[in-house]
Amino acid sequence: MSSTNIREWRALCEKFRRAQDLSEIESKKDPENDPFRSKYKARELLKEIYSSVKNLDADESEEEDSDGQTVDVGTEDAALKAYAGDSRAGLRAVKLGVVDYYLGVNHIETEELSAGEEHLTNCMKCLVKCTVTRENVSLLIQARNQLGILWAGRDDTEKAQGFLETAESVYICYMKEDGQPPLDLVDFFVTEEEAPSQQERMRRFEMAYTHTLYYLAQVYKNLGHFERAGQYCHCTLQRQLNFNQFVPLEWAINAATLSQYYITKTRYMEARHCLAAASVIAGLAGEVPSEAAAKESETEYEKREQLRQKRAEISRCWIKYCLNLLQDAKKLLEDNIGELDLDRQEELQRARQNEEEEKEKGRKSAVLFDSGDTFDSICGLEEKVSCAFPLNFEEARAIFLVGQGHVMQAKEYFEMDGHVTDHVEILQDHSALFKVLAFFEQDLERRCKMHKRRVDMLEPVCKDLNAQYYLLICRQLQFELAETFYEMMDLKLAVADKQDQPDSHTIKKFNNLCTASIKYYQMFLDSIRSPEGKFPEKLEDDLLRPALVAKFRVARLQSKIISGSLTTQLENLTQSLDSYNFVVQYCEEHPEAKKVVETELELSEEMVSLLPIKMNRIRSKMASSNIQ
Amino acid sequence: MHCFFAAVSLKTVQTVLKLLLLSFRERVDGGRIAVQVEDNVVRIKNVKVNGRAEAAGDCRQRLLEFAFDYCYWSVNPEAPNYASQEEVFQDLGVSVLAGAAEGYNVCLFAYGQTGSGKTYTMMGTPDSIGLTPRICRVGLQSKPEYEIYNERVRDLLRGTNQKKPPSLRVREHPEKGPYVQGLSQHVVSDYKQAVDLLEEGIANRITAATHVHDASSRSHAIFSIQYTQAILENNLPSEIVSKINLVDLAGSERADPQYCRDRITEGANINKSLVTLGIVISALGIRHAALSFHALVLSEGEGSQSSSLSGIGRRLCFIPYRDSVLTWLLKDSLGGNSKTIMIATVSPSCSSYNETLGTLRYAAHARNIVNKPRVNEDANVRLIRDLREEIDRLKSMLLSFSMRNPSPSLSDERDSSLSDMVLQNELKVRFECTCLP
Repeated sequence: MSSTNIREWRALCEKFRRAQDLSEIESKKDPENDPFRSKYKARELLKEIYSSVKNLDADESEEEDSDGQTVDVGTEDAALKAYAGDSRAGLRAVKLGVVDYYLGVNHIETEELSAGEEHLTNCMKCLVKCTVTRENVSLLIQARNQLGILWAGRDDTEKAQGFLETAESVYICYMKEDGQPPLDLVDFFVTEEEAPSQQERMRRFEMAYTHTLYYLAQVYKNLGHFERAGQYCHCTLQRQLNFNQFVPLEWAINAATLSQYYITKTRYMEARHCLAAASVIAGLAGEVPSEAAAKESETEYEKREQLRQKRAEISRCWIKYCLNLLQDAKKLLEDNIGELDLDRQEELQRARQNEEEEKEKGRKSAVLFDSGDTFDSICGLEEKVSCAFPLNFEEARAIFLVGQGHVMQAKEYFEMDGHVTDHVEILQDHSALFKVLAFFEQDLERRCKMHKRRVDMLEPVCKDLNAQYYLLICRQLQFELAETFYEMMDLKLAVADKQDQPDSHTIKKFNNLCTASIKYYQMFLDSIRSPEGKFPEKLEDDLLRPALVAKFRVARLQSKIISGSLTTQLENLTQSLDSYNFVVQYCEEHPEAKKVVETELELSEEMVSLLPIKMNRIRSKMASSNIQ
Repeated sequence: MHCFFAAVSLKTVQTVLKLLLLSFRERVDGGRIAVQVEDNVVRIKNVKVNGRAEAAGDCRQRLLEFAFDYCYWSVNPEAPNYASQEEVFQDLGVSVLAGAAEGYNVCLFAYGQTGSGKTYTMMGTPDSIGLTPRICRVGLQSKPEYEIYNERVRDLLRGTNQKKPPSLRVREHPEKGPYVQGLSQHVVSDYKQAVDLLEEGIANRITAATHVHDASSRSHAIFSIQYTQAILENNLPSEIVSKINLVDLAGSERADPQYCRDRITEGANINKSLVTLGIVISALGIRHAALSFHALVLSEGEGSQSSSLSGIGRRLCFIPYRDSVLTWLLKDSLGGNSKTIMIATVSPSCSSYNETLGTLRYAAHARNIVNKPRVNEDANVRLIRDLREEIDRLKSMLLSFSMRNPSPSLSDERDSSLSDMVLQNELKVRFECTCLP
């Protein structure tokens, strides 16, 4: 290169740097009424660079390359490759390609999509004749990434998919066949002293590919290929960790979210791996600033909030893991009335041996976050909780305890005062943990105590909440409390059955449980009333079944109450009959309700016909005792 | 540009759905009109902008229809179907006030593309005042007890001389409901004071927007009115407190990143952060019943009409994404005993086709926001079994009674266990009866 050329070259580099600055830094300060001012300036510079490169290289190049020839961008046939990517012509092509790339991105950023597309297509045309080499591989991937985004933005997801999948295969091929650190796009327009380090080049290259996977994840999601999308999200996370390109808290939350996806697919091993990784990586985000420090500065306050919130959220993901694992195990083990099926339990315990070997194989093929120095901590955390279905009380209890630990952690941040809905959701999960644990408990007294724990945690909340703001939550709690009391009443009955003669204390307890259950069903039903206290003529679709079921259960409970007095018996039965009647009449007036409460309606109809007979007998008995 | 509005009104308690579409005149750009309104149906036609490749993605040349409960067209005042601010108030404002008087919390919010006239509808201009001042005026006439505050991420009514106002947090109080921590409250006694506060808030919002780049289209402005009524309940003086939230939402193109389901988000310029990866993950068909607008819209169509509630009681998983102000806003409105009206504003111009379509879809999806009380029915199987047994007992009792021939086992009454005592009613009665002469 002559000295004039060197001077020209340096000027070109300077121009390029200026364009980068304008586009990346100054553009952020552009005023709202002229939002693309700096981008337009950058564009002008890029255009100048483009023509300079064309002229500069035209002077130097001996042979004229086939510039005018049109080449179909889509064909990647090796026979068409006119020259090597690192030949003189190849270098010229990649240089022009880089400028076209930046011009393309510039136009897209300034909302001129078709012009942007033209530049990017041009860039691809330049390169299509070259073999893939370390000079152009990065550009080949990045230009396709951009075209992928462009076409996805135009609702042509399939076209986007094409570009991105090609980018993916270019990367895979290059890494297999060459693999040496490729050049970065800026390498062609920086002086040696400003050139990125080898390490930095590799970092940027890997980052470009991580983005390819990230975009593919979105494309697959949009196409409804959730399984693949999940896989690509997972790979994106893995690469972020691998190349140390992540923000810890953000990464951790993403991994925790991914665990929830795996839970819905009942892939508990993967879910646990994601959660363990989330917990470990969230730990890298640093210490939570003290309350005192948070009072001093807004930044510390923000940081404290962020850290506490995100960690509490990861705990909530763990709770869901434990809960779903227990509930899925229950589903496997229960008989047709929801009790533990002992034969099934034995069968599953026998089958487990083989399964564990399968699991081990599965683990080897799964994508693991095994690249960083955090892997040991992740594995250590995984060992603390099983990912296999618990088959007996001891195993269930171990999972329950992990879940309960996370309930405590989550509640530390999501306090009742300030985070009502979150706090209640956590309590509901805690209650659900107890409920599913009770299934594994064979001792009825202890089982009853577990339900009592549920009552103890839900009842005060239900009392404190203002239904004007938390109607939905209140209804859920009322229903759950009613059911829990019902459950306890049932258990009391089963326990008492084992005694010879129930004492008056047991009877009283039994009656109290019945009344408590009725009370909460009634509260639920009352919440449906209008502010003036009127029960709606027609129930909304979403309330139809819950309301009729509540009424039906109230009817059942009213007839269960034990009383020595015939008058009270008659009163209770009258109320019960009224409630059954309500269900029957409602369905007569609103036939569409029939199919929603089929069984309940059938039983209510029978009770409506049978109860009066029963009541008549009480009446005649009362009459006869009066005579006596 | 011509603009008009679409509004959705939902009563979440009774889930009665009302949708409105109304329009107003802004500036004239001579743009072609892509939207027609007929009764309560909106039709939107995809017209290629000018044959350029820009529109290549919009190759669907069909006419799409969206039905709303009401549609208003206010593009040009000369049009026979032109809807004025007063007309809109008569429909929307009056029902807001009526809802508040009944004791409901009411939330009215405007959603749509920047520039499509959300602020015009909510606030209006001096010549053509909008819903918020109109609601204030009528509300104040009927009852002068008001506390009004205006909220954003920052308090718009706190002294403007503060250099860096602290960012406010939305919190929930068990008794008083959701609130914004540290927000200033102002008691007003007449309409003028209310409107002055409103104008101060708007002015502060504009200044704030110029300081923070890009803030205007990202911020939600909320004007919150506490409505207190003195009543007599059982001859005792009591109060009904309800809240009216009037919300001017951020531009739809910004407010809802999740709704751009067909676009993919770029990450190239952001160094380490792939911001929306989490959103991508959470959209992977994860079934969750989180109380979030987005979640509810996105999960629409899966088991919405379930006859068995067994699955609904289970909230499968937890999705830790909650940045959207819209989400908490709707949590307040949809989770409580409230009525919600959503006004979606769109521009009928061809050039806004994509945004308009997006907004209309979003508004139409709002129909699907139904909060099902997630109740669990695990105990049902056993209950039904028990009841069937009782019915059988009653029937056999009836049979034996009619035959006057009690079976020996049933006449052998044992009072030993609690179960038996529960059955006592029928057993005893039967026993006694059969003993009657």
